[in-house]
Amino acid sequence: MRRILILTGILCLPLLVRPWRAAAAEPEQKMLGDQSDGSRAHPIHLIPLMTEEGEKVSPDDDPLLPFSTSKTCGACHSYSTVTKGWHFNAGVAGLGIEAHGRVGQPWILADARTGIQIPISYRPWPGAFRPEQVGLSRLLFLKIFGRHIPGGGIGEQPGEEPSQIMRSMVSGKLEANCLSCHDADPGHNQAEYAGQVVRENFRWASAATCSFATVTGSARDMPDTYDPMMPEPPDDPKLVAPAIAYRAGAFDSEKRVLLNIERESAANRCYFCHSNMYIDGNDAEKWSSDEDIHLTAGLTCVDCHRNGIDHNIIRGYEGEADVSANRLSATSSCKGCHLPGEPGAEPTAGRLGAPVPEHLGLPPVHFERLTCTACHSGPWPGEKTYLTKTSMAHRLGTVGVNKSAEVLPHVLAPVFAKQDDGKIAPHKLIWPAFWADMKDANVTPIGFDAVRQTVGKVMARHELPASGDWPALSDENIVEALKALAAEQKIQGKAVYISGGSIYSLSDSGRLEKKMDHPAARPYMWPIAHDVRPAAQALGARRCEDCHSPDAPFFFGRVSVDTPVLSRAGASIIMNELIGASRPTYAGVSLFFKWLIIVVMALLILHILGDLFRRFVSKVTANKPAGTRAGKPGDGRKQ
Amino acid sequence: MKKSNLAAGAEQQYFQRFGPQFRIQHGFLFSSTIGLIITGVPLWCLGRPEYGWSQDVVAFFGSIEIIRFVHRVCAAVLVLVSVYHLLYTFLTREGRREFIELLPRVKDVADVTRNSLYFLGLSKQRPRFGRYAYYEKFDYWAVYWGCVIMIGTGLTLWFPGVAAKVMPWLTYELAAEVHADEAVLATLALLVWHFYNVHFNPSHFPGTLLWWHGRISRDEMLHDHPLEYEKLMSGKNETAKPD
Repeated sequence: MRRILILTGILCLPLLVRPWRAAAAEPEQKMLGDQSDGSRAHPIHLIPLMTEEGEKVSPDDDPLLPFSTSKTCGACHSYSTVTKGWHFNAGVAGLGIEAHGRVGQPWILADARTGIQIPISYRPWPGAFRPEQVGLSRLLFLKIFGRHIPGGGIGEQPGEEPSQIMRSMVSGKLEANCLSCHDADPGHNQAEYAGQVVRENFRWASAATCSFATVTGSARDMPDTYDPMMPEPPDDPKLVAPAIAYRAGAFDSEKRVLLNIERESAANRCYFCHSNMYIDGNDAEKWSSDEDIHLTAGLTCVDCHRNGIDHNIIRGYEGEADVSANRLSATSSCKGCHLPGEPGAEPTAGRLGAPVPEHLGLPPVHFERLTCTACHSGPWPGEKTYLTKTSMAHRLGTVGVNKSAEVLPHVLAPVFAKQDDGKIAPHKLIWPAFWADMKDANVTPIGFDAVRQTVGKVMARHELPASGDWPALSDENIVEALKALAAEQKIQGKAVYISGGSIYSLSDSGRLEKKMDHPAARPYMWPIAHDVRPAAQALGARRCEDCHSPDAPFFFGRVSVDTPVLSRAGASIIMNELIGASRPTYAGVSLFFKWLIIVVMALLILHILGDLFRRFVSKVTANKPAGTRAGKPGDGRKQ
Repeated sequence: MKKSNLAAGAEQQYFQRFGPQFRIQHGFLFSSTIGLIITGVPLWCLGRPEYGWSQDVVAFFGSIEIIRFVHRVCAAVLVLVSVYHLLYTFLTREGRREFIELLPRVKDVADVTRNSLYFLGLSKQRPRFGRYAYYEKFDYWAVYWGCVIMIGTGLTLWFPGVAAKVMPWLTYELAAEVHADEAVLATLALLVWHFYNVHFNPSHFPGTLLWWHGRISRDEMLHDHPLEYEKLMSGKNETAKPD
């Protein structure tokens, strides 16, 4: 018996040890959907919808509530892990600066009435202000820019002030909208999300994008005391409380809904937030311009921009591997796919059929000083930069967009400039324009509300262009606005207006002064990655002079100095100022040769004409009677 | 010139002005230069919409690679003949003598003034030139200056990687600008000035064959190089003797 007990104990030992080993190997508990079982087939998402309270949604519920992605999707996927990913973590506290990587596209607060366009971001990118620095509360930021924010992060953070907290109770959280990227239902309507955000229907926004749900009403119109769980009709009959209706038949008998979820998002989903429109006068329309060569070749965005459950998506720039935890970041950049790996290593060159570039005859110095995108990405550079529209900056894809080419903000591209790593890359650019308080050399933007109140009042008599372009600001307008700011706002230093690379302020005598070269006035630039052009359409594919000639846009294209200030209308700078290349040397040489050619050829031609003239005179003289001839008889023979 | 010989003809006496060395060098020089102009101009114009015809020239050659190859072959010939000329100038007696004759002198400045006055009818006497008149010296030194610039900048464009390391101050753009500007100046000078002096000048029209046989007639010698003629005839030049 004793032997049997000992034997049983030995046999059971592995069972006791196994859970311990499992816990040691997997410190974090993986949920059902966090890890693939290896199947490449689509998992079917016939699942119950859950409210933010964790209750299952039933079509018979009263009140009928929107489903919550954190509870519905989060039932099988680690929502907290997902929302640490790139698209959600901009406003997450405690992230190191390296987590925000290379400078990217900011949000741009633009207002034609007050002459402002300010780059803002919750990411600590140089040149961009944090929203609170320009007087945008979390709620106001979300109302303006939430249309193209996929929720999570800043969307779920409570306000700091009691009034904001109260409003958060009414509007709900702007949870990570998993459906923005993963809903493959052709009826998915991301533009509806934008509409809900404007109405502060944060709680309802994700559900409203589904083809089986309809959201009406506006949380924005509801009082702070409104409780969506126990809704009461608004006092004003014209106001409509937010409500959701699910399409009949959307739920099966077990109150489950079929969500057409796909892991690999289609490019169309990415395009809602990542579209670009380069207004070069010819091929701005989608039907008349080419797509990125990778998409044309059959790839999708997520073939390169990959991520796991942590949603730490690869941005795809050179050097990202140094700061990214995504183990594929090194092999998913341009070089990662197109250039051979280390000798003897697992072959990585030509991943996904990527051609290995020959770059025949291209001096290696180009690879040291240029990014791949410098030659291969963005629109073909012209004599002058193009006005450019982006989804994030111009609300593309949402309802009621001003389709005018001149609508603010004015993003310019392509601008060739040096990145932090010293390489030249194509960029998009905006010239910051804002009213600020300057104390010593420090510039602090004046809050948006204050500017609207004071500067807006001064500028109110200006008729704004229907195109959404800047109104023309005269020096007198700026002087008046600066005086009003100094009088009405709490300015600690001196009220200034920054625009087009200059700082405008009032002198002691009340005259308008302009200073340049202040860091706060410098343009904000972020690199262009797409659309990628094929090798045959790369800069330099035809000839070196694509870039290396005195009028080549790469070095000497004009970058418009965008500003509403009338006296600076039409101003521009030359691209080489942003690259750090010199122009004066050979501009001077060109001028020297121009005059050398003119002077030398003029002298030579004069000499020839003089010779011909003398020959003619000598011939005429020789034909005269002997007594009237001048000179010696033989002089004209060879002249 | 190897020797200045006085050749006896039936009706006209001829002098051997240029020897085979000079003529062969000149042959390589002008053929490579013409090739460089024919291929260089379309290469420069290519990609500039206002010069659409350059595409036709490229099509004639077959491709941009071919036209670029031909340009570089011509360039290589120019480089070789230039190097050879330098060696010829410094390593041969004839070369040194010709070089010394071609050096600018104060008399050349005076000759320019006198010739200008003569053109204007303010002087009745044309200046009397030696072996090389000032405009011939100008021709020579213009080619000298042109070759130094064109070869220097051309090699920079041909081997930009090496040039960036050896001469970082000579950027590709600067080299391209100088190369194009100097090419324009050289081509214009060649077509206008040199062609006038040796082809379109009423005295030589439709052209002298001096470049081919190297001989010059007594009349031409007396008119264009009277001082050299006198020098030859006075017997001061030991190498000069009637043929």
